[in-house]
Amino acid sequence: MPILRRSRARRADADDVRSDLPQGTLDLLILKVLAPEPLHGYAIAQRLQQVSRDVVQVQQGTLYPALHRLEQRGYLSASWKASDTGRDAKFYRLTKQGQAQLESGTASWERLAAAIGLILRPAGGRP
Amino acid sequence: MTWFGRFRRRAALDRDLDRELQDHLERRTQALIAAGLTPAQADRQARIESGGAEQVKETVRDVRGTRWAHDLVQDVRYGARSLGKSPGLVIAALLSMGLGIGANAAIFSLVDALLLRALPVERPGELVQLEGGSWTNPIWEAVRRHTAGRFAGSLAWGEERLDLSNGGEADPIDALMVSGSFFETLGVRPAIGRLLADADDRRGGGPDGPTAVISERFWERRFGRDPNISGRGLSINGIAFTIVGVVPARFLGPTVGKTFDVAAPIGTIDLVRPGGPQSQLDGRWTWWLNIMLRRQPGQSIEAATAALRGVQPQIRLESLPGDGPPKAVEGFLSGPLTLEPASTGLSELRRHYREPLIALAGIVGLVLLIACANVANLLLARAASRRHELAARLALGASHRRLVRQLLTESLLLAVPGAIAGLAVAVWGSRFLVAQIGRTDDPVALALPLDWRLLGFLAALSIVTAIGFGVVPAWRARRLDAADAVSHASHGRVTRRGAVSGPLVIGQIALSLLLVVAAGLFGRTFSALATRDIGLDPDDLHVAFIDIGKVAPDQRGRVYDELQQAALTIPGVRAAATSMIGPLSGMGWNTRVEIAGEAPRAGRDAMTFMNAVTPGWFATYGIRLIAGRDVGPGDRSGPPVAVANEAFARRFFGAASPIGRRVRLESGPGEMAEVEIVGLVADAAYRGVREEFQPTLFRPLSPEVEPPPFTNLSVRTTPGGAQGVLPALTRAIRGVDPTLSIRYQSMTSRMRDQLTEVRTIALLSGFFGALALLLAAIGLYGVTSYGVNERRREIGIRMTLGAGRGAAERFVLGRVARLVVIGVAIGLAASLALSPIVQTMLYQLQPRDPATMAGAAGMLTIVGLLAGWLPARRAARIDPAQVLREG
Repeated sequence: MPILRRSRARRADADDVRSDLPQGTLDLLILKVLAPEPLHGYAIAQRLQQVSRDVVQVQQGTLYPALHRLEQRGYLSASWKASDTGRDAKFYRLTKQGQAQLESGTASWERLAAAIGLILRPAGGRP
Repeated sequence: MTWFGRFRRRAALDRDLDRELQDHLERRTQALIAAGLTPAQADRQARIESGGAEQVKETVRDVRGTRWAHDLVQDVRYGARSLGKSPGLVIAALLSMGLGIGANAAIFSLVDALLLRALPVERPGELVQLEGGSWTNPIWEAVRRHTAGRFAGSLAWGEERLDLSNGGEADPIDALMVSGSFFETLGVRPAIGRLLADADDRRGGGPDGPTAVISERFWERRFGRDPNISGRGLSINGIAFTIVGVVPARFLGPTVGKTFDVAAPIGTIDLVRPGGPQSQLDGRWTWWLNIMLRRQPGQSIEAATAALRGVQPQIRLESLPGDGPPKAVEGFLSGPLTLEPASTGLSELRRHYREPLIALAGIVGLVLLIACANVANLLLARAASRRHELAARLALGASHRRLVRQLLTESLLLAVPGAIAGLAVAVWGSRFLVAQIGRTDDPVALALPLDWRLLGFLAALSIVTAIGFGVVPAWRARRLDAADAVSHASHGRVTRRGAVSGPLVIGQIALSLLLVVAAGLFGRTFSALATRDIGLDPDDLHVAFIDIGKVAPDQRGRVYDELQQAALTIPGVRAAATSMIGPLSGMGWNTRVEIAGEAPRAGRDAMTFMNAVTPGWFATYGIRLIAGRDVGPGDRSGPPVAVANEAFARRFFGAASPIGRRVRLESGPGEMAEVEIVGLVADAAYRGVREEFQPTLFRPLSPEVEPPPFTNLSVRTTPGGAQGVLPALTRAIRGVDPTLSIRYQSMTSRMRDQLTEVRTIALLSGFFGALALLLAAIGLYGVTSYGVNERRREIGIRMTLGAGRGAAERFVLGRVARLVVIGVAIGLAASLALSPIVQTMLYQLQPRDPATMAGAAGMLTIVGLLAGWLPARRAARIDPAQVLREG
């Protein structure tokens, strides 16, 4: 179907951004930056970039689908509110479900990272 | 938000998304300006970074997962609008598919119910029946004893028509006389109370007295589903039975096509039908029971038959009649017993309708093919005219896939309602069929649950047809490019197309011809039978079938005469007489004949049908006396006499007069009695309307040898006088003896019943033949009118160049004629090849009957040319000037 073909093409574009982010990691990162406070889309992108020291740069074509998907799954809720600049912006907030997802996602990420670390680290380097 | 919420609130979600992305863009621009870019540079940079607002939106919309549904709604709306513009096509397609699917499902559900489906009992595959019709009760008892342990079970039943009234007009019920093991061996569970058991099946009734169970339908009809039915009484043939339970409606009995009201133990048959030494319980020559056995798990039919044959000597020994002619006794049960599968039960109806049903299944199968061809044709014609539209949509950026989906949706818009229409036709049609094949006194009871698998299959078939042909244009459009949209089709230029629809129309015509031939053959068979001179005058002739079982045998001679006398005193009765056998009742009585002074003949050649009548019987039936005399009042006691019919005289005496000749008849087992032929009457139908006139010998009705427990009183009333006569007749008969019970039937309704099968198939084949003709005409019309539109320019130019209107008409009709002629030729060849299949269903007609074939071919040609003529006339009216202006 044409739609599929189009979206597939776009995903390929997005891949160069996400290529360094393993599957599902962007979702986890979004949940993480939203944990302290609700943010709007632009702020989320900024925050990701800042916190990662410019390693993670998320384009709109990747960010917004992810936000809407997370919202659909009930991990985020969104509402329009006045922002610091005085303009209305759509703020995403972590739901209880999202909180739980963040915790379990973080835990499994840490497990995975530790496991990968064990493999990649030279054997003698162990304490 | 749920999927459905996202689906419904698409516009709001899109607005929200717009705002959100706009906000993002503005923030980014602000940030870039703050970083030192000029507003213009910042705006440009931000837009480049965003990767295109529309693309982002599309990706977000994809996340919602509702796109396909929105596209579908769009397609459906568009499809409905575009179909709405050609209501003719829609109606024709729905009609074709509805009737095609519905008729097939209806016929198949009948085929399934009657021919294929297993009895609704436990493990029907294990059931086998004792081949060879009916058996005596002593045989059944011996079979039961000797098969115990060798089989998983055995059961027997007989079908009886019993009476709930106590004399007067009968209140007949269909009874199953069953062995105590019947329900348990079949594995039928009660709906209420209990079913019969071995303890009930004792002579004169079990510990609870005579017991019976009733069918759910009877329970509803008679007792309004009284939950406290167990223990209620029921008087059957004047005997008080106790109802102990109700048989669930899904079990209609072991005979497919019939059902029962009451089931009572075999042991009680002598209560309701007392009958001395030849009673149904003790008579060793009284054959009335069907016997079934249940095989042990894993036991093959062969092994089961071998097991039964192993005990055949004992069975024979225990059921052997002591009396009877030695020859008959010697041959008794001497042929090896055989078992046959009985998982689908028994059926008289099945025997009658196997051939007609298979023929009908073939016919409706053809109708479905024609219907599919028609739908295909209509869709093709329509698609061709949409070439331009498709090209335009391609040019505007639609993908081929999107077009295919659009066309698919439109096809489904036709096919799905078509399939639903088919369902309606199926439900209604199968009920209609069952009502059709029933007889006035013997309605057909069949469980006809709709077969969803079949219906699904048919619906799938028609949907696939619709889709297959609906999508062809999209497939063809794959070669179109945007340029076509502007250049090609806008002028209605000729595109090659006939390649598919020409053969379709030819196929339709050929198939329709087959159906018209079938309709012709069956219709002519019916009319030949309906108008056949059956040798008796059925109008205003009524037969009272009277149960005289409660009258002592030696009193019955008196009763016969009194019945006749009583009838004759009623005003409005022109003639009345009693007889043993009622014509066209399906009953028969035949005997071996020896001619004095001739060597005994063999086989069928020695047989004659018999009847016993009171004086005036021939006059009552309007049967002409050719020579000699009728039986007279004195013949009962005088020297034995008989009246022969012409067929009898032909068979036994050739051209010579039978009057005064003496013949010997088998009067009892092994006994011959000599009678003198005193009269000759014209031939008349005996058992059926269809069979040839049978040699028949009529004897005076007398109670000399074991008179049957019934008699037929026939009365001829003044024209249309039955209404006044029959109630008076009932009173008169009760006046003779209040225990007599009566069932009336008019001779005309008997004749109608005899023609049921033939009429049903004539009616249905006629209907489907006409339908096929109509569908073929629609198909031809559609294709031709499309052809005319397509060639408007060509015809216009020809006219400009001097061709007359007639020439235009001829030009179009020529094309039509070619299709029709090829179609008719193929159809005729197919008819000649296939019609012998139905040979046995025809009456006095060869399957390749030239008149029928020619008539059918002529009819199709005329209809075809008419269907083509209408568009041809339109071609003749084309205005060349206008065509040129358009060009």
